[in-house]
Formats: sequence, structure tokens, C-alpha cells
Amino acid sequence: MAIGIQAPPSAGVPGKKRWAMVIDLRRCIGCMACVAACKAEYDVPLGVWRTTVKVKDTGTFPNTKRHFMPRLCNHCDNPPCVRNCPTEATYKHEEGYVLQRYERCIACRTCIAACPYNARHVLPGNRTRVKVGGVVDKCTFCEHRVSNDQLPACVQTCLGRSRIFGDLNDPKSEVHRLVATMGTVTLKPEKGTRPQVYYIKPDRLSMNQGDAAPVSAAARSDAEAFYRHNKGSRFFGGVL
Amino acid sequence: MFEYSWFHIAPWGAELSIYFFLVGMAGMAFVLASAPEVFGSPAAMRLKPVQMPALLVALVLLILCGPLLILDLGQPGRFLYPILYFHWTSPLSWGSVFLLMFGACVVIFGFGLVTNRAALLRPVGIIGSLLGLSMPLYTGLDLMVNTTRDLWNSPWMPVLFTVLAVTSGTGLVALIAMLRRADDAMPVLRQIMGWSVGVTLFLFLGLWVMFLYGGEELQQGWVLLNTEFGTQLWVVTFLIGILVPLVLLVLPLANQPAVVVLAGLGAMVGAYSFRDMILIAGQMPQLFY
Repeated sequence: MAIGIQAPPSAGVPGKKRWAMVIDLRRCIGCMACVAACKAEYDVPLGVWRTTVKVKDTGTFPNTKRHFMPRLCNHCDNPPCVRNCPTEATYKHEEGYVLQRYERCIACRTCIAACPYNARHVLPGNRTRVKVGGVVDKCTFCEHRVSNDQLPACVQTCLGRSRIFGDLNDPKSEVHRLVATMGTVTLKPEKGTRPQVYYIKPDRLSMNQGDAAPVSAAARSDAEAFYRHNKGSRFFGGVL
Repeated sequence: MFEYSWFHIAPWGAELSIYFFLVGMAGMAFVLASAPEVFGSPAAMRLKPVQMPALLVALVLLILCGPLLILDLGQPGRFLYPILYFHWTSPLSWGSVFLLMFGACVVIFGFGLVTNRAALLRPVGIIGSLLGLSMPLYTGLDLMVNTTRDLWNSPWMPVLFTVLAVTSGTGLVALIAMLRRADDAMPVLRQIMGWSVGVTLFLFLGLWVMFLYGGEELQQGWVLLNTEFGTQLWVVTFLIGILVPLVLLVLPLANQPAVVVLAGLGAMVGAYSFRDMILIAGQMPQLFY
């Protein structure tokens, strides 16, 4: 239930759709096909992105690992950008999309300031082919495609099938099953935005460390000592 | 190690910190200009000689805000949209309405003053003063409501912005008073400025404690403020903007108009610098996300 000025929720509301995305980070290969597809779909200008893939290397040679993290608008169930927009140019669709009305946008950038996910940008005013410019833009979850029974462009093109899209309120949908069973995480949940892009972390063991056995002998030994020491305490009561 | 990310910076820049500064000063200048009619007390009546110039300055400052808003929004007509499509949960919408109403109050009050319509002056003065103080209040509120930016998300932000507007507006009127040789007004202005700079010091210390005891984003912000904004924070804001004016205002020397004006100029510099720093630095910690 929405209280005060919070947006009415779409997730978990019977009889309503709630579009959401699950990103399986174990499958992302950093090919950036999603970024290219999005750029092509919307003619997104140089220097700004509706979606991108963050890349980070960790470790030291030869034990290195490259991590990829696709990022886009989280289409929050309680979006702060909508609350702060002075003209209601940004609004939340009843099916969960957070959309932008260009004709109302005054480019005050309040929504950019309000967004904790760095998901919004200002379109340059001097565009040649698509004339929409000088306003704030963002990912729409490809509402125009989804409403015509197609997948968002980034999902359609994802090589590793890392991006999974669907109706979170439909118990039969893949996103519902994944969110229910995979222990997904969201970005900055402490901000109260209820983001609807869920991530499956790349390392299942680290993700499920609460119930997975430690891998190395040293870690196992440490864990056993820790369990022994804490057994019977309130925290571990009923777990071990 | 290779790392690639992208940042969409919310480009709230100098045009907005200047706007915050000017509109806040305009609000306080109007409060002081209307004080003789609103309060009618002997202390308020001492401001009578600076009434008209302070009102004119408020009007000029408001007029200067126009191009700044156009520069910020890109098109002149866009200013009307928050009023046409009023969104009650957005402080910016309320600010747009109040700004327009405040402008009207300044003009009507000036008209009343010129045509000597005493019955008009008091109600317009009261409404205009409240609207004038709502100018810095809404700018602070506009930052405060961004719950995702820890540097801004403090309930003290609108209070701080209002107090800074009181200081800078009073400093400006003190300068006018000195130029007009209205020495009678100086003790009143000195008292208002002394209190507001004192409150600014407490708010500064409060923010300091908030940073020192804060979470990850605030700690990051604190590092940023002390590195990228170190000079602005400690020299321009704290030393020139708060400490020096406070010392000047509490000294017996402050009986001299030049000292009050000097303190006022320092406080004006500090009031601009404080808000500019908060506005710009507040956008940055998220960049590292």
C-alpha cells in the first residue's frame, strides 16, 4: 500500500502486470550487443546511454578476472524521479515502466539528481535525424516493443541470454521463478526505491555462502572453528 | 587494472548556485524592505531610509534570475510548465509558483509604496516576506528531497539555505545603508547578521558532525570536500564566510558601519560559497558508484 507521496506499487498486485528484468551475471560475456541494440533502437546519441555494461578487472596476473555488469534504468516500484519531477513529465505506468513525456520535460534535471542508478541523461539539443533533444531521456524497458508482444531490444539481442525479461506478477514467468528461487540482489535496496532489475551474482558460492560449504581447506577449517565456537548461541540456534 | 564505467552527471552547475544566491538575497532584501510596514516597531522603522533601495535591489535581483533560469532550462517558456502541470510532490513546482507570486508581491509593494497606499502595504509585505523566505527554503528543499544523495538529504538543508539567504540579504542591505548614509539602520542590520552568522556556524558544525559520523557516502563526501573543495570549505566558507564576519560583528568595533559592511561582504562570499560547494559536491559521490 502506498502511504503519503510514495508511488502505488505494481509488484505483487494481483491482476496487474509488473514488468521486470533479471540479469544473470554468470552469463554476461561483456559483448556490449545490448548496448549496440539499444543505441540502434532509439538512435541514442554519442556520449549518453540508456544501457551500458560496466567492466572491471580484479586480481593480479596471472590470476585475474574480468567482471561485467549491465546497467539500465531499474524501473523502480517507488521511483524517486517520478516523485521529484515538477511537471509529471516522468511517470510510472501501471505496468511498472517508468516513462518520460518529452513534451512536458523542462530539462531541470531533478530526475537525474534523484536517480540513485545514474540511469538518466540529457539528450543533446542539436540532433539531426531524431528531432527529440534538450530533454531528459532514459530506458523505457522498450515499452513500444513489449506492448506489441516483443522483447526489449537488449534482451532480444543478448548473446549469452544474460538478460531475462517478463512479468514478475505472473507466477509462471521465468523472471518470477528466478527471483523466487535464485536469491537475486538489487542495487542500492536501502534507498527504498524497490528496483525491478534483479541481478544473479556471478559466483553462486559467494552468493549462497550462508548455506554453501566452504571450498578451500583453510576456509573450511575456519568455518568449522567458527561454527564450533558459536554453536548453541542464539544466532546459530536452529541452523546447525 | 582495466575498469570502464559511464557517468551521467546531473549537470547542476554554477548557474544554479548563482540563482540560489541571488534569489535568496532578493527574498531577504524584500523582508527588510517591508519590515517597517510589517512590524512597525521602532527597530523596524530604522530601516525606513533603505526601504526603497532594498526593494529595487530585490526587483533587480529577481530580474537577473530570469536569464539564469532560461540558461539552466534552455528555453524561456519552460519556466511555466511546473505551474501549468503542477506536481504537488515536487518542491520545484512549489518554488516556481512561489517565485512568480513573490515577484508579484515585490511589484505590488513597490506600487503601494510609490502611490502611498498604506492599507495595501502591510498584507502584501507579510505575504511577500513569507514568499521571499520561501525562496531559499524551496531551493534547500529541492536538494533535501533527493534521498539518494546523502550529502543533500538532511532536514537542515532548507534551514541552512534560509539562514544563508538571511545573512547575504542583510549584508547587501547593509552595503546599501552605508552608501545611503543610513547609519540608524546599521545596529538592526548588525544584530540580524550577527544572529544569522552565529546560526550558520552552528549549522556548519552540525554538518561537520554529520559527515564525521556518517555512512559510506558521507565519508566519501567528506573526503571530497577536504580534497577537491578544501580551499572553498575551510578558507572561503568557514574562515571568510563565517568566522571573520562573526568576530567582526561581536567586536565593539562593529559600531562602525564600515565594519558591519565588511562583515556583510564576507558573509555574502561565504553564503555563496557554502551553497555552491554543497550543490556541486553533493552530486559527486554517486559518480563513484
